[in-house]
Parts: sequence; C-alpha cells; structure tokens
Amino acid sequence: MFHDGSVVLFPERKTAPGSPGRETQKDAPVPKRPETKKSGDRLMDRMKKVDPNQSERYRQRTGE
Amino acid sequence: MKTVIGLETEYGALLSGVPQGMRDLFRQEEMFQKVRDHIFHVQKKGLIDQHQRAYDEPPGNGGFLRNGGRLYIDMGHVEYATPECHTLLDLVRADRGGDLLLQQAVEDMGLSDEISFIKNNIDHQTLATFGSHENYLVSRNFPFTERGMEPLVAFLVTRQIITGAGRVGVSYINDSLISLDTERPPVHFQISQRADYIVNKFYQWVQMNRSIVNTRDEPLSDPVQYRRMHLLLGDSNMSEFATAMKFGMTKIVMDLVEEGIAPPIGVREPVHACRAISHDMTMRWSLQDLEGRILSAVEMQEMFLEKASKAYAGRDEDTDWVLEEWEKLLTDLARKDPAVVSDRLDWAAKHEMISAFRESEKLEWNDPWLESLDLEYHNIDPSKGLFRILEDDGRHRRLLPPSVSETGTTCPPSFTRAEGRALAIEQILENPDMLYIIQWFGIQINQGDVLYMLEPLKSYRDEVSDYFRKYLSDPSKG
Repeated sequence: MFHDGSVVLFPERKTAPGSPGRETQKDAPVPKRPETKKSGDRLMDRMKKVDPNQSERYRQRTGE
Repeated sequence: MKTVIGLETEYGALLSGVPQGMRDLFRQEEMFQKVRDHIFHVQKKGLIDQHQRAYDEPPGNGGFLRNGGRLYIDMGHVEYATPECHTLLDLVRADRGGDLLLQQAVEDMGLSDEISFIKNNIDHQTLATFGSHENYLVSRNFPFTERGMEPLVAFLVTRQIITGAGRVGVSYINDSLISLDTERPPVHFQISQRADYIVNKFYQWVQMNRSIVNTRDEPLSDPVQYRRMHLLLGDSNMSEFATAMKFGMTKIVMDLVEEGIAPPIGVREPVHACRAISHDMTMRWSLQDLEGRILSAVEMQEMFLEKASKAYAGRDEDTDWVLEEWEKLLTDLARKDPAVVSDRLDWAAKHEMISAFRESEKLEWNDPWLESLDLEYHNIDPSKGLFRILEDDGRHRRLLPPSVSETGTTCPPSFTRAEGRALAIEQILENPDMLYIIQWFGIQINQGDVLYMLEPLKSYRDEVSDYFRKYLSDPSKG
C-alpha cells in the first residue's frame, strides 16, 4: 500500500504472507527439474562470464 | 507457531578494479558508509542513530529501518537485522527485503559496476568468517543447561544436511585451537560454510571460539519472561525454502526441548561430528550418540520429526508445512543423491551447478574458478548472481512472488512490536526536528519518557500512536 509514491504504510494482513504451503500454491512458481536447454544455457553462459580469479580479490575481515 | 524469530546477516563485498591488497579493506569500508548513508539520508528508508549506542556504535553508524529492522556497520561488514517476525514467510520476506535494500541503493548510486554484496560466510583466501545469526524467542523456563540442551545440540549438528549453504574447499584454521583429526584429507566441496569454524559446544562469545549454542543472555525484551536463543552456527541461505525450513525446524525442536518431550539423545564429540558431517559428500553422515550407537544424521533428524509430528501436527499452518516438507526432505536425502534435493537446498543446488560446470570445462576441483563460482552463487545482484538464475528459471523453489518480497524493504511484519517501531519511525521521519533514541525494546522522543516495548509479541501500535499524539499536542511533554 503506497502513499505519495514512496511512503509505505502498514500492510493489511491480506498483503502479508500466509503460510509457506498456501503461498506456494497461490503465486510462487512451482519448481521444475533443470530440463530445458534454454535454462541450462543461461546458467552456463553466466558461469562462463564469472572472472575465474575473482575469489582472489574477495578478502574480508572476520566478523561474528 | 506462537513465536518471534529474526535473522542477522553480515554481508561480504566484492570490489571491482585492480586489487590493492589490504587497502581494499579501507575501500570496502568507505563503500559501506556511502551505501548506508544513501539508504538513510537520501532514500529515507530509516532513521540513523543520533546517540552513542555502544562503544563500537557511535552516532551515525547505523539505524532502524522503516520495516522495523536495523542496518549498521559492524566488524568491517554491512550488517542487516530483520525485524521481529511472527511467521516463516514474514521472516523470508524480511530477509529478502535486506538484500533488496542494499541492491537498490547500489543501483540508485550507480555503483553496480564497482561493488557487489555477497551473502555468504567465508572467503577462500584469508580464512575469514562472518555470520548469519538466528534469534528465537523462548521462555525463561527453557532448560538452559548442558544436560537440558543435549537434544538441541544433536539437532543442530545434524540439521546442516538441510540448512547448509555449501562451499568449495575447506578450512583447517581452527585445528590450532582444538584437537580434531590429525589427518587432513582433501575436501573439494562441503555442505556447510560455518562448520569448519565452530570449535565449542557452548560459549558466549561470537567472534572467536564460536560454539554450537551461543550462551549470551541478552533477551532485548522482558528478561523475567523471555530468553533470546542466539545461534551462530548456521549459514547464510540464498534459498527461501531452506531459510523457512531452518527457522521452522529449529523453533519446533526448541519447543520440544522446552516442553521436555524432545528425543532423549545427544551426540558424542559434537564439534567433531559437525565438521565430519559437513565434509562427507557421500551423504552417509555417520555419528555416535552418547551411548555409543552409530546413527546417520538422517536417522537422528527422523527422531526429532517423529516426536514433533506426534506433539504438534495440526497446531498451525506453519508447523504443518514444516512437518510435511521435513519428512519429504529426509526421504529424499536418504537416496544419497544431491540432485534430488537441489530444487530446495542450497548446498545441493550449488554442488549440482558447480559439478556440471567442472565437467563441462574439464577443471580440477582445486581450480580457483570454482571458488569464484561459489562466491557468485551468493551475489545478491540479480544480474550477476548464479542462485538468482536458478530461482528465476523455476529450478529452485521460491516461496514468495517478487512483488511480495519487495514489500519487505519497508513494511514491518504483523503481530510483533516491529509494527509499533515502524510506526514510530514514520512519525519521526515526518517530524525531522525530533530528537530520538530507538532501541529494540523501546523508543524515546526529545529526552522525554521512554516508551518501553518489552513484549515482542505485541504490536504496540496503540501505545505508539498515543505516545506521539501526546508529544505532538504538547512537545514540551516529550
């Protein structure tokens, strides 16, 4: 529920999630096995574009 | 489930450009500050702290958000804490809302080519680890003793077969702290990101000597009635399904423990077992109980499921969903094929994806490219992240449509005090001259009376409305 285009007021309960089972049946896509060539290619194409050495650049501080 | 749950996530950051060694840590911190300031000062998605919150949280370090959650910089990481959530989908929505908040700020600032937020728990170079902390409200009657929590430890050690986020490689960094295997067999891929960094059964600290059950007693609510169980052994899940199952199963087991009806079982050498299960990609997952019996992690999980089904079936929709999916998962995991559960579990999805790539490109498991793919699985940028493709293509189970996830950036969950806090934040944003202190357990305006919110399962909407009505009608009363 939006007000002035940006301010969000509290959702009525109907807009908030219910239980996972009910929500999945309603709106969320049903999962599929990875069987379409198009999907496989899209994932493989993106994986090939990942910089092979980027894990070298990923250095973090220890957190909690 | 009559409960309150919440999740704290420390994000990693991947910077583009020529690596500058340790200077990148400073670049990173500067970038975090820019993103934080944009969220609070430009996008007005929350209120930055005006007061010194703690010795390491000066004014301006972070603040509470319109959704009732909190964003801040901690230990060199951007950390997001969800608001208090009452249902599993509220939790999933709030968790995804944190990802969206950060990504939207990055895009708004035109920084997408410079920084990516990575929602994982390790780096492969320095052996650093950072957290995903779960919070569960339990009663003060919870048997918070070593003996009382043996079943909880057994559950937590074995739940990783469902909740693990998977990782390429291994860390033996903590062998200097504890005596584990003398052998160090090669581990190409393992189930959990955090298992290698857990070295204690119980301990109160969070940055070192991490434990299976963190014993810090900081309820952030009425301490007479409540305890906040704070767990830091879990991984940052990308999967909505795994996130919901993690919180659902764990809360159910805490209920069993609190009511004294959990299976009377414990694990011998639980720290060792935690790591051994994570490293075992044969999916046999053997461990010893306290009587010396050899069981599998699946069998141990089945014991908890059986007790929970008897005690709680029909209790509410969330519980029934968890019990049903838990049973399906354990049946599928017993088939010892990650592909069978890759549509629901992060570690299996990542393993399938990286294994297929490795075979296609004829790479060895120690090729650094695979570590890079491991990271990219956790990239929250939908135009880069590998998990997002699995989800968008319907290959991994999604619980919420994107339009609902989007509301998680600004809408608080219902039926918890996050509603009242969010209402207070809206009021203050509309009255920018107000001085304020906001805490998890209360608010204070213009150094006036404190409105305490010690009951997490109450919305406090009426109390907050009255509090501001009183102030706005006579500001001197604060």
